[in-house]
Amino acid sequence: MIHGQTSSDADWRRALTRFVTVIPHTRELGLEVLEVTPEMTTMRLPWCDDLLGDTARGLIHGGVLTMLLDTVCGSAVLPALPAPEVCPTLDLRVDHFRPGVAGQPILAEARVVRVTESVVFTEGTLWQETGRPLARGIGNFVRLGPRNTPEGFAEALFAEEDDHA
Amino acid sequence: MREGFDDVEWLARTRAEGDLEAWLALVPYARRIGVSALPDPQGDGLLFRLDPREGNVGNVLLPALHGGVVAAFMETAATLDLMLATRAPRLPRIVDISIDYLRTARMAPTLARCSLLREGRRMGNVRVCAWQESEAVPVATARLHFVLGNPAEAGA
Repeated sequence: MIHGQTSSDADWRRALTRFVTVIPHTRELGLEVLEVTPEMTTMRLPWCDDLLGDTARGLIHGGVLTMLLDTVCGSAVLPALPAPEVCPTLDLRVDHFRPGVAGQPILAEARVVRVTESVVFTEGTLWQETGRPLARGIGNFVRLGPRNTPEGFAEALFAEEDDHA
Repeated sequence: MREGFDDVEWLARTRAEGDLEAWLALVPYARRIGVSALPDPQGDGLLFRLDPREGNVGNVLLPALHGGVVAAFMETAATLDLMLATRAPRLPRIVDISIDYLRTARMAPTLARCSLLREGRRMGNVRVCAWQESEAVPVATARLHFVLGNPAEAGA
């Protein structure tokens, strides 16, 4: 338990698993949440042929990497807030260090650099092979605040498996 | 002969014919999210369209399209538009993208228009604007840098 938070890392791992499973795009791609701490969120996108951007050369579509960075950075925001709020992406910058290759899962990690009253600053990294990053992302997210967060958002994240509609 | 972006003759022929269908057929992720190209009614260029598919949803409460899917759509549009717009056939490889999300993208068709702001010998810069109801009300804008590869050297 860190900073007196009532949710453990394991609770957050389940909550973010629910978060990415409710989102149709990431559910259909089978995105998995590996580890969540208040500082860092780690995910894994399993390989499937639909991730390709060039079938002849066997390269991953750059947009898959942007989508994954948006997802992992946006998810890392939630455990860093005093209470879960809806935080849409304000802007995102992705640097492509090397192309992703067919056949291997993509690992993603993101950390929250700073939380202000209105914005959450994050950065994320993707790789297939340890020590050889594919891309870096810098994502800034807007805090909509409790007033604009739908009622039951936090409860939905932490609901028991079988109450989930 | 193997068809692909690294096949110089195939690339030159499909480019001369403006056959974006042939290009999109080799881009599975663009097909999955439902990207297509159409003639720009206001000019000689192209518009790009993202189909509002259930699988593109990123927020079920609103519902809204996944911002990352919108970015992938805009990157696809920028890449294909660049491949048609350059003076000679080039194979773009993305260096970086910066995207600003201006409004929620709803479950409706999204259109995009690209501008090649600079074509250098090695680098290209493309700006993309994406909208739903009206071009004057963009849902996102993006800028991208690409390395402009020589297709003759890519097939090795």
